[in-house]
Amino acid sequence: MISLPDLATFEVGSRFEAACGPVTTTQLVRYAGASGDFNRIHYDHHYAVDAKLGGVIAHGMLTMAFMCRALTDRAGPRGSVSRVAARFLSPVRPGDTVTTIVTVSSRRDDSAQPGIDCDLAAFVGDRQVAEGKATVVWPDQEQARQHFGGERHG
Amino acid sequence: MSEVDRNLVGTETAPFTVEVERGAIRRFAEAIGDNNPIFNDPAAAKQQGYADLVAPPTFATSFRLPMDPPWIANLDRRRIMAGETSFAIVRPITAGMVLTCRMKLRAVEDKGGRKGQMQLLHQDLEGSDANGDIVFVSSRTTVYRPAEQSLA
Repeated sequence: MISLPDLATFEVGSRFEAACGPVTTTQLVRYAGASGDFNRIHYDHHYAVDAKLGGVIAHGMLTMAFMCRALTDRAGPRGSVSRVAARFLSPVRPGDTVTTIVTVSSRRDDSAQPGIDCDLAAFVGDRQVAEGKATVVWPDQEQARQHFGGERHG
Repeated sequence: MSEVDRNLVGTETAPFTVEVERGAIRRFAEAIGDNNPIFNDPAAAKQQGYADLVAPPTFATSFRLPMDPPWIANLDRRRIMAGETSFAIVRPITAGMVLTCRMKLRAVEDKGGRKGQMQLLHQDLEGSDANGDIVFVSSRTTVYRPAEQSLA
């Protein structure tokens, strides 16, 4: 895995983006199996056309997984997402690459559970497909102190 | 008959048990294309202080009853779409956990759109461990689109 700057070192207002994709129909079949969401609008073209969707659309929850990955890839091994919420605005389709823009909205340096809050915005090209918020925490106190004592980015 | 049954608002499913398996976590990580070692390699997860393989944050979406809950069962799948989802994760879900889950239909909301009336089904899912301590809480809003609405 590529080593990325640790999220704990980001200042309020700093932004970064992370891309996942392109989504494939095979991936949607895999995701249907792994998540248990077998709605055919996600992998059966004719069914999705009949549903007036113009073809298959990705599971919203797959987009949310991509949004989370933008965080977990940078949370360090002991950082974890404690809260995450997403609202789906527009369909994602096979061939689409989803880019998540993360903006750090606040830091909780002095909290018993240090962490950061982020705003999330997911795009396909310049079309926004989802928006959300998340909190990433570092439950290990000693490790958190080390993280937060280090050099900051942003 | 494929309209939302409002009489089910406030009802919940029988509790169901989820045994969190390594294979299920790995398949989920593979499906979302996430090669993070703590989601894929138990040794890497343990090295970081976790009890076992860690589940990605949205993994609890896979915690389902064998059949759809009663408020979904009669609906036309072609009209169902994801609206919103949230998770509050009290502690990371790891392989080997045995969780007792409950799913509830909290509310149904009418929403007028350009192309007709849609219904929003607000559902809650929570999971607790053997001690009865809550491990995660999730809310999901499912959109039930008007029969004639096109997104093409």
